Parts: sequence; structure tokens; C-alpha cells
Amino acid sequence: MRYAIFLGCTVPVRNLSYELSARRVAAELGIELADIPDFGCCGYPVKSVHHETSLLLAARNLSLAEEKGCDVCTLCSACTSVLTETARQLAADEGLLEEVNRRLGAIGRRYSGKVQVKHLARVIYEDVGLERVKKTVRRPLDAFRIASHYGCHYLKPSGIYDGFDHPEVPRSLDMLVAVTGAEPVDYATKKECCGGAILGVDENIALQMSRAKLDDIKAHGADAINLICPFCSVMYGANQRKIQAKYGTRYDLPILYYPQVLGLAMGIDAEELGLSQNPIKPKALLAKIS
Amino acid sequence: MESGTWGEKDRAVVTVLDPEFKHEIAREPGGENIKYCFQCGTCTSGCPVAELDSRYNPRRIIRMAILGMRERVLSSDFIWLCSTCYTCYERCPQDVRITEVMNALKNMAVKAGYIHPAFRAQAELVGGHGRLYEIDEFTNEKRAELGLPALQSDLVEAVEIFGMTGLADLLSRKGA
Amino acid sequence: MSCHRAAWRRAAPGQQTSDARCGEHGKRGQRGACAADEASRPHSDTCDVTQRWCDGAMRASTPQPRIGVYVCHCGLNIAGVVDVVSVREAASLLDGVVIARDNKYTCSEVGQKTIADDIRNFALDRVVIASCSPRLHEKTFRTLLEKCGLNPFLLEMANIREQCSWVHPGDAAAATEKAKALVRSAVARARLLVPLSRSQGRVVPKAMVVGGGVAGISAALYLANMGIKTYLVEREPSIGGHMAMLDKTFPTLDCSLCILSPKMVEVAEHENIEVLSYSEVEKVDGQVGDFRVQLRRKARYVDEAKCTGCGQCASKCPVRAPDEFNRGMGERKAIYIPFPQAIPPVYVIDVEHCRYLTEGKCRVCEKVCERGAIALDQTDRVETVEVGAIVVAAGFEPYDASKKPQYGYGRYPNVITSLDFERIICADGPTHGKLKRPGDWAAPKRVAFIQCVGSRDEHRLDGAGAYCSRVCCMITAKQAFMIKEKDPAIEVYVYHTDMRTAGKGFEEFYRRARAQGIVFIRGKPGEVRGEPDGSLRVVCEDIDSGCVLDMRFDLVVLAVGLAPPRGLAELAQRLNLSHSADGFLLEGHPKLRPFETSIDGVYLAGCVQSPKDIPDSVAQAGGAAAAAAATCSRERIEIDPLGPVIDEQLCIGCRLCETLCPYGAIKMEKTDRGYKARAVEVACKGCGVCGASCSTRAITMKHYSTSQLVAQAEALLEVG
Repeated sequence: MRYAIFLGCTVPVRNLSYELSARRVAAELGIELADIPDFGCCGYPVKSVHHETSLLLAARNLSLAEEKGCDVCTLCSACTSVLTETARQLAADEGLLEEVNRRLGAIGRRYSGKVQVKHLARVIYEDVGLERVKKTVRRPLDAFRIASHYGCHYLKPSGIYDGFDHPEVPRSLDMLVAVTGAEPVDYATKKECCGGAILGVDENIALQMSRAKLDDIKAHGADAINLICPFCSVMYGANQRKIQAKYGTRYDLPILYYPQVLGLAMGIDAEELGLSQNPIKPKALLAKIS
Repeated sequence: MESGTWGEKDRAVVTVLDPEFKHEIAREPGGENIKYCFQCGTCTSGCPVAELDSRYNPRRIIRMAILGMRERVLSSDFIWLCSTCYTCYERCPQDVRITEVMNALKNMAVKAGYIHPAFRAQAELVGGHGRLYEIDEFTNEKRAELGLPALQSDLVEAVEIFGMTGLADLLSRKGA
Repeated sequence: MSCHRAAWRRAAPGQQTSDARCGEHGKRGQRGACAADEASRPHSDTCDVTQRWCDGAMRASTPQPRIGVYVCHCGLNIAGVVDVVSVREAASLLDGVVIARDNKYTCSEVGQKTIADDIRNFALDRVVIASCSPRLHEKTFRTLLEKCGLNPFLLEMANIREQCSWVHPGDAAAATEKAKALVRSAVARARLLVPLSRSQGRVVPKAMVVGGGVAGISAALYLANMGIKTYLVEREPSIGGHMAMLDKTFPTLDCSLCILSPKMVEVAEHENIEVLSYSEVEKVDGQVGDFRVQLRRKARYVDEAKCTGCGQCASKCPVRAPDEFNRGMGERKAIYIPFPQAIPPVYVIDVEHCRYLTEGKCRVCEKVCERGAIALDQTDRVETVEVGAIVVAAGFEPYDASKKPQYGYGRYPNVITSLDFERIICADGPTHGKLKRPGDWAAPKRVAFIQCVGSRDEHRLDGAGAYCSRVCCMITAKQAFMIKEKDPAIEVYVYHTDMRTAGKGFEEFYRRARAQGIVFIRGKPGEVRGEPDGSLRVVCEDIDSGCVLDMRFDLVVLAVGLAPPRGLAELAQRLNLSHSADGFLLEGHPKLRPFETSIDGVYLAGCVQSPKDIPDSVAQAGGAAAAAAATCSRERIEIDPLGPVIDEQLCIGCRLCETLCPYGAIKMEKTDRGYKARAVEVACKGCGVCGASCSTRAITMKHYSTSQLVAQAEALLEVG
């Protein structure tokens, strides 16, 4: 299992704990992650503004991966959707691929349309499989109740994700949590959007969107939120205090990236998983398992 | 909700419609299926933004687009409120692909000279060094401390793309 | 092969040569003799059919054929693209063409008269018509030729519409050249056409109706009243179909079983109808007028002749199973009758749940039955029935709402479908007609209906249909009305995209529904959320007011669409029927042949052709019955001569044709010279697979001979 790890824009600068834990856990699971230092923006932030630019940015990244002979493993859900969509479009539409290659040619690149893209969580779920993951668990997290946030781009639009999970009744993240021994918490707003994409457009609406989920998760008594996207972590993590202040609520809800959850269950030291870097410190949580 | 009421401007009687607008949208990547919409409202009823603010109503936006209210739609603030959650895209019974239609409308707005400042800012960042967040020496040092590999600083190729496609020019224009 | 072809070519017009005589089946190179030599030998006596056929070829092919070519404008359909005049001019120059014309509408009275006059005045013995697809007018023109004293198989048609002008609208020049090539090809074949005669097929003066719902019941009654013995085959233990499950019917609010039950009894008692219940069609052989249908008569484990329907057995049976007639709400016994008015009123044992049939214990029913009607050693029986015509009335099944998990069907007990609702509100149902919700059997105070679940929907992967199911708007209006009748205080909201109430009395009913205070909301919810207090939350924009409504309901009814019934693909395959894109069965013509199919003798009635309501189903059943009756009241069926001609001298008994024939229409028979292929005319569809695959070229098709096809190809390619 060898993938080029696509860090995106946010993770390698602002969510180093996600990257740290992802690499650590991947190594434990036998997923080889190759680095491509000149991977750039996936194109998502520009898609609303200029589709062609977004497409070319994505295609350039795919051509870099192809050159290295790798498929792509992503950490951010938005990156996953743009890169997966682009990979599929170019694989299916010869005319478009030709057009794209004309443009890429001007920057000395070429893409032949064969790269596959998968989110790390899906790689663990599908390629490694729950059985094998279970075998790596040395410290079952029985004391934890964890609510998974699926978010939007991990599963939608469903047409590009080969039906590996169902956007209306998703299970993959809950099963990935369950395999660590933790109890997956089900809650009504599980599928709701974090609002991150419009934080800069209308902070009020975005915060309200995140607030609804934090309220719900808190009401269900979860110990932590399981996340797989840095955008979402901006909302539930970095902005948690802002929401608390604005609405007079209190959550103190630690956010964990899935590799951190799995890493803890594997018995890996919290520091190695970058837990001290998480926006809401999971002190009480960690106390439960020491 | 005050911010969300259907304003005076919106209630004015419309006398001019552009019948070509919907075809233009259909020619834009992502907008191909807009004309299939039969106004069932499934999109709005699942939309997390619409639930909070009636200013954003995907069904109504598509209605205005198909009717041909070009100026009103492209110059509006509401088209920028889509959080791209794809719920409408999944549920639409007519495969209109609303999220992508919304992207198409935003693309057309940019070409018409209207771009939301938040999106302009993001585009300028990516157009400047190929990423949203600049990778500089400091960033790579911090990464090295944690045992993480360094990343390439200036992605010249990515920046060139902005020039090639004309987005750099669009951004340099004065606008919204 | 080249030898014989060369022989044919060398024959000058008017010259009768032995080569020409055997143009169709002279010996081939492998026997080491030249075609011309062989041709002078007399044919074997066993070659009867081919002898007659060859003679016919000779008579028709000499003297030089006199061909009339008619190029049709078809208004602008053809002439709008193809230059018909230049096609006609090119045709007039071809060998053997005596007269060529172009006409506005060849199929019209005027057009046909022109041809008739020409046949007489120019002594034409072949007619080529370049026009629309033969599927439309081949029959018409063959009849014309017959009226003029010509053999009807001396007609050739070139399709310059569906296969030319309609598919090349943008390139007139190329389309015209193509039309000329097609006409050239048709003339080349016409030269080689031979007169053929139809054979006669027997007609069994009986009919079969597959499906015992209201459409099937109606078709059977119409047929029976015309004096035609009819088998009514139904796979469930009782006839009645979905109509038997309904409480009331729109727009009159007649009690459904009250109007259906007398029909069901009429069917049971009619001297011309035999009800074959709990039976399925397994195999169909034969053709129009002469079908052999193999049925599986499933074992009831109850003797139909002895059972009086008293119900003693069920009252003592210890096993309970979910009641499918009540959609799983409620239970029945392992020995049961589906509903009280079942026809036949005979009990049936459920193989999956019966303790005896699964574990070998119990047999209580046998002990208590005073008639000795229990027959636990019964097995399925296979029976073959002969009929002249078949009406397919296999109905529909409701869309499975669990395929759209966002609406919560299967997850929240108080989200139900319209059919579930019908059972609840029915006096015979699990609540004896009391309006109660399945979750806790409490009375709901606020009910929502959601329309178009599984219809008007592009989600193929969810099994949804793109079509409108036509009846759900009225079903909901009816059900909403019935709720208000039971208790006007109950709030009812109907979430819809459109309200389609087009039938007779429907709009008036919709008005009454509004007057009852039912609120019709234009807006389709994307999901139903179950709240912790058991209520169902629906967030949806009311488009007409522009407000997003966030409402709580006690009961949500999903108006599910109508989908093709389970097992339709298998049934269609057995009858050689096609499906339309929506999965239902394809009618002969969408406008003019709504209850015929492309298979002669097989007709359609009811929802199996397309979703429709009861009056439309009954009307279509009447039409299908009339057509079926016309078929099986005939003395004989004329079978077109499309089958194979087998030269037994060439046949080496390799069995390739028998293996490949999809219809079992060619069989090897032992003769004193080894196994030889023989055609089974009644089964033959004239597909030509045998002719194409014969390893020794012993088979040629009567009306599509090898040399005709070769001549057509050569003319198209302008070679030779």
C-alpha cells in the first residue's frame, strides 16, 4: 500500500498534529506514504471563482503523483472531493484530458489520467480493513464515547466515491471508532455541515451551523469529536471558544483527528500524536486512559 | 429574521428578463443541468444555510436564474452563501447538480466583475504562492522540529496557471 | 460459391439455363463438380420443399422481372432532407426497372391507386417502395399487391426515412446518396424475390390472462362474455391484486372490495373462466393462435376441491407469521386465507413458517379439518395449457421506500407508505379501520403526506423511476379526505411538487379536499427526522409563501410510486416481450397500439404497461380482450413464410442450427440417410440464425435467401 500523501494547504501549517498522527498511524498500519514537496493547493478555494484554474491546479497535483507512480491519499475532505472529481472527469473525458494537457504542457507537465484518490480514513477502512486495524489495538479505548463528524466532502457527491459508504446513513467513521474499543455516539445532526466554507462570507451563519452540532454532541455526553478534515477542525476546534463566548454555552469538547484516536488505541504516546497541539486540549480525556 | 427578509428591492415588479441567461449557465462547467429544475424545493428543504437564513434559498436562486434575472443574480450577495455541503446535489430528483450550478453562477459573477472579498482574498493567496498559507523558512523550521519533511516554498507552476487561465487578470480588475 | 454466382451472372436476360435454375442451391466446390453440371441432374425426391421453391424461383426470375419503384416524399419527412426526385431518376436507370415514380404519400389512397394502376398497365411483377420502416406499412403494401393479383412477397421496401432522412437531417447531399444506394440495394433484391405462400397455423379458441388484479379480472370477463374459454393465472393464492387491499377508491369513495368482490365472484362462477390461482408461467412455446404455456401450479397443501374455507384449521394453527396482506402490520397463521373475500376461498399453507413443512411436527390442521382437505404431501404440479392468445396483466409493485433512508421508512415506525395507510384505514385491516399510527397505535393529531417518493426522480440507483406514477396525487387526496372524514380536527398537510388530478371527477374531488381544510404545500422535503419524543420533524420550504416551515408530525405517509412488478423481466423473456425505458412492458405503438405488443397474440392490460388508475386499467383490459378475442376466434392463422429451406442433400446433421436456434424451431430428425434438419414452423420466428450458421450452406431462408442478401450487399457497395 503506497500513496503520495496530499497534505493540502491547511494541515501542514495549522494542523500539524493531524499530520503527525496520520504519518505515525499509517506507518503502524503498513501504509507507505511518499512525500511530494511541490504539491500545491488542490484548487477547492478557487473553484467557486474560476473553474478552469481550479481544474488545472488539481490536474497539476495529479500529474505530480503520476510522475511518482503513486495514487493519492488525502487528509482534508475538501481536497479529497476536488482531486477525486478531477481524476474521474479526466479519466472519463478524453477531450477534456487533451485540453488540460495542452495547458499543462505550457508548464512542462503532462497527465495521462490514471491516478486514484482516497481519503486516509477510507484507505484505513477499505484498504487496511477493520479486521487488520483491530489487530493493532493494544490499548482499547473502552472509556471513551466519541461522536464522529462526517462532514460533507468525505461522502458527497456520492457518485464519485464508489459507494464505499452511504451519505444518508453513513457508518464508516463510527465503525473505525468502534474498532478502537471506544463507543461511537449516534446523534441527530451527524451529517450536518460545519459551515467552514462560508466562514469568511457570513461568520454568524457559519458559527450557528457549528453550534447546532456542538450542542447536539454535548447533549449526548460525548467525550470528544472525531474529525477527518482541517476545515471542520477550524470550526469545531479553533472556533469552539468563539461559539461559547457568543452564545454563552460551554462545551470543553476536545476534538481529535481520527489518526489520533486510533493512535491512542494503538498505545502510541500522546505527544507523538501531537495531542498537545490540538486547539481544545484533551486533558480530561487522556486522564481516563492513563 | 431581519438579515433574511425578502427586501424591498426584491419585491419590485420585474419587466425585463434575459432568456439567454439560462443557456449561458448551461454552457458553464457545472451548470449543464440547470434547466431540468422543476422547482420542487427539495434543495432548500435540506439546505443547512437556508434553515438559518432565508436570504439564501437555492430553489429561489435557480428560479431567478431560469427566469433570466441576470443582473440580480450575478450581483447578489446570496450566491456566495453556499457552503458546498452537496446535500441538495445528492437529493435533487432531477439531477440538477445544484452545488455545481451555484459554482457556475459564482464563476459567471466573477467574470462579470462581482467577487466576494473573502473569495478574492483566497484566490489572491493561492495565486500568489500556489497555496492558501505561505510556506516559508519559519514554517519549514517548525515542521523540521516535529520531524516533518520540508515543503517547497514557491510553487511557480501553480502561479503560472493563474496567468494562463486569465484569472490573474480578472483579479487585478477593480470590482466588488 | 463463386462458381454458382458466376453461373447466375452469365445468364442473359430471357435465357433459361440450368445454371439459373439452380441459382440458389447448386453444388459447391467441395463436391468437386461444377455447378452447371450438377444443375442439369434432377433433384432428389426428398427435396420437396426446396423443389417447389426453386420452381417458383425459376417462374419468377424468367423472363426478366418488371420492377416498379416508388419513392415516397412522406410529406417533408423524407423530401425535407432527401432529394426524392433524383432518387427516383437514379432508380429509373436500374436494370429491370420499368417505371419509377415519386409520390407525396405512397400509403394514401391516391398513392396506392397509382401503384395498382401501374401493376396493371405495365405488367409489373415486382414492387419496390422506398419510404418509411416496413414496420409501419409492409402489411398495407403486401395487401395491395395481393389485391392486384401479385404474390405479396414480391414486395421490397427500402427504409429511407427512419434509416436515412430522420437520422441525417443535417446532410442532405449525403442522405440523398444513401437513399439512392438503399434503393439500388432494394432493386437488387427485388430481382431475386420469389413468390411465396403463407402456411396455415392452427388457432386454439382459448385465451389466457396472466395476472388476476382488476385489469386481469376485467379482461377475463370481457373474453368470457364473448364466449372464449379463458384461463386466469394468478401467482398469489387469491385473485384481487392491489385493488383488494384498498379501502376506498377515488373519486367516488366507493368501497374497493365492494365493487371488486362481485367481479371476483363472477370470475369464479363464469362457465368460460378457469381460475388457476397460486400458479406461475414457467415457459411459453409456440406463436399466435397456438401457444403452449407451461404453468407451475404451486402446492397449497390444501385440496382445493375439498376446502370450504371454514377456517377451523387457522383457528388451531399454533404458528404466527407476519401478515403480508396487511403489509406486516399484524399477523396471520401459517395456514391462512389472504383476506376474507379471497377467490378461490381456499386456505393455503405457508411453506416457510409451517411447523410440519419445516420441522416435521404438528399437523394440527389435518386433525381438525372436518373435510379432510389438508394435503401435506402435495407437491407443485407442472401443467401445460394451449391457448390462442395471451393477455399480460401482471400489475405493479409499490416503490420500496426503504431505498430512500432519508425519509426514515423502516427506521421510524410512524413513517409509513400510502399502501400501509390504506390497510390501516380499511375496516378489515389491523386496526379495524381506526386511524392509529403503527408506532404506539395512538391516534395521530397531525399528519403529513410526502408526494413523489420514488417517482419523477433521476436516482436510478435508488430504484426510482423518472416517470410520474399518475395515481399518487389522487390516492393522497383521497386518504387526506378520509382522515378529515374520520376526524376534522386532525391537521393534514400534503407536501407536493404538483397536484395532478386530471381524470374524470378528479379536479372536483381536489376542490372538495381543499374545502375540507387539507393544506396542500408546494415543496418537497428532503428528509424526515425522528425526534426523541417520537414525533417526526419535517423542514421544508412552502414555496408559495416563501417561508421555510419547520413542523412536527405524528404520522408521515410517503406517497410511493408504482414500480414494475417483481419477476417482470423473467416473464417478459418467456414471452419475448420488450421493456420500455421505464421498466414496464413495451406496447406496440405508444399512440395507436397501446395494448398490443410486438409479439402477435400477446396483449397488455393495466399497470404492467404503465402506471394507471382503475378505470384506465379496466378500459385497457377491454381493448386487450377485444384484440385477443379477434385473434382466437379466427379459423386459422396465416404464418408468413419466413422460415428456412433445408437442402437435405447438403445437410450433414451437424446440429449447429438446432443448437443455435433460440426458439427450438429447427430439430434434427432421423432419416434413412442420417440425421437431417427439419423446420418446426409453428415455433419459427424467421430470425435467420440457422441460415447464417449452417456449416454446409444447406439452409437458406425463404424470404431472405443468401443470394438476395449478397445481391443487396453488392448493390450497396457498388461492386460486381
